[in-house]
Amino acid sequence: MSPYLAGFSRGFRSTVVAPGEMAVRMGFLVIVLVVMAALWTAAVDANGGSLEGYTRDGLLWYVFAAQAAVIAVRPRTVEEVGEEIGSGAVAVQMLRPVSVAGLRMAIEGGEALARLTAALLVGGIATWVLAGPPPSVGALALAVPATALGAAANIASQHAFGGVAFWLLDAKSSWFVYQKLVFIPGGMLIPLELLPHGLEVACRVLPFATMAYVPGRLASGDADPALLLWQAGWLAVLLVVALGVFAAGQRRLEVLGG
Amino acid sequence: MSAVAATLRTALADGWANRSSFGFQMLLMIVNDITWVLFWALFFNRVGTIRGWNPDDVYVLFSILLVSSGAALGLLANSRRIGQLAADGALDETLVLPVAALPHILTMRIDAALMGDLAFGPVLFLLAGHPTPERTALFVLGSLAGTVVLVGFLVATGALTLFVGGRGEQGDLGFNAILLFASYPLDIFGGATKVLLFTAVPAAFVTGLPARLVRDFDAATAALLLGMAAFFAVFGWAVFSLGLRRYSSGSVWMS
Repeated sequence: MSPYLAGFSRGFRSTVVAPGEMAVRMGFLVIVLVVMAALWTAAVDANGGSLEGYTRDGLLWYVFAAQAAVIAVRPRTVEEVGEEIGSGAVAVQMLRPVSVAGLRMAIEGGEALARLTAALLVGGIATWVLAGPPPSVGALALAVPATALGAAANIASQHAFGGVAFWLLDAKSSWFVYQKLVFIPGGMLIPLELLPHGLEVACRVLPFATMAYVPGRLASGDADPALLLWQAGWLAVLLVVALGVFAAGQRRLEVLGG
Repeated sequence: MSAVAATLRTALADGWANRSSFGFQMLLMIVNDITWVLFWALFFNRVGTIRGWNPDDVYVLFSILLVSSGAALGLLANSRRIGQLAADGALDETLVLPVAALPHILTMRIDAALMGDLAFGPVLFLLAGHPTPERTALFVLGSLAGTVVLVGFLVATGALTLFVGGRGEQGDLGFNAILLFASYPLDIFGGATKVLLFTAVPAAFVTGLPARLVRDFDAATAALLLGMAAFFAVFGWAVFSLGLRRYSSGSVWMS
């Protein structure tokens, strides 16, 4: 078995055998869905039943997919990567004959798959109860792989950001800031169509929209396969950047000494 | 100086020892808070007033939340870690001291990042809360009451670990639930959810009622808020004290 596949498998299994942590996350997801259902119901009611083409039910399915894609991913990877680099622990990982970033991302990918499966199941049921059936079954079918692509892009992006610690030697608490890039430019809290036009355009240029907005948009009923291509393109770019940042950072450590 | 004040002073001095890190973490939390303010600005810009709540009302609610969570989770950082401390056997080091256990545990650690909330909350109120002497007094009163409710609730849910075991997962869920519900205007919720916010997850007493008081003072609401703050202070203390009777040493080997 390739080391990356083994890492992916290890990540998946280690998450499945920790039901307490999983239960907390799924409980949190349900609470988020209840809160967002209340918020968007009030917002749509105040605007004649629709916001930029989003109905109440469409918005709730949007929130479900966007949240599922984000909650599947470890939130503090940026900080953890920074700590490993800052503390020198990464030097031990560099002794292995595999890519440090590649193995890390494989492990986190396995973890994310386990959480995403649970989130789609639990969140899907909760959303069905809150909003009724999805606006489009076909679009929802496209949203499922989109959540996986979104989670993968998020993992790669966090490694690219965290890898900056090779130069700064500290990424403490910076995950707060990264997280907020997914919240608003990523469309997790509010669909991009509801933002002022200039901000919407800027957010569509950034990669964060592929992590939450795209799964949400698909689940809301817009069955546009081009959205998946948009995600796949950014995922490829982010993977190259993450691996490149780590490779350059590791070379720097090798030159300067860990 | 009382033992509690001395413990808190030591915790503050410990956090302040690395000033650059302390300041950096506070700064990042303030950036985080500003992002939430931006979210509400964008939301209301597109949606308009919802169920009687306009942006300024929500900024007041958010500033109360920042002060309450900053005090409960920044100054009294262990309030959300009672379950984990119990599971790790880490209460031992407090139980051997000649001080009341709960106040000592609550004051022995601060969280620098969350002190950013405590700093930014009043600033947000001053900037967006239309402060008058009366509104400011109600803001302070509401924030204090909200802090007491939040700490009492977190201690109680964390202390459940002493009864049911685990590593405080129910405390984590309670923590996430109350902060999330407290972040949004009370009147968007209805039916069973609203009942929940006044009972099992008392987010209404952390931000909802305090914000309502700042907007429109009502003596009965103020009395209810203060009464619930007293109740949750006693409730948290009682659950922790009863749970402590079931606590057996973690037998943690220290080097």
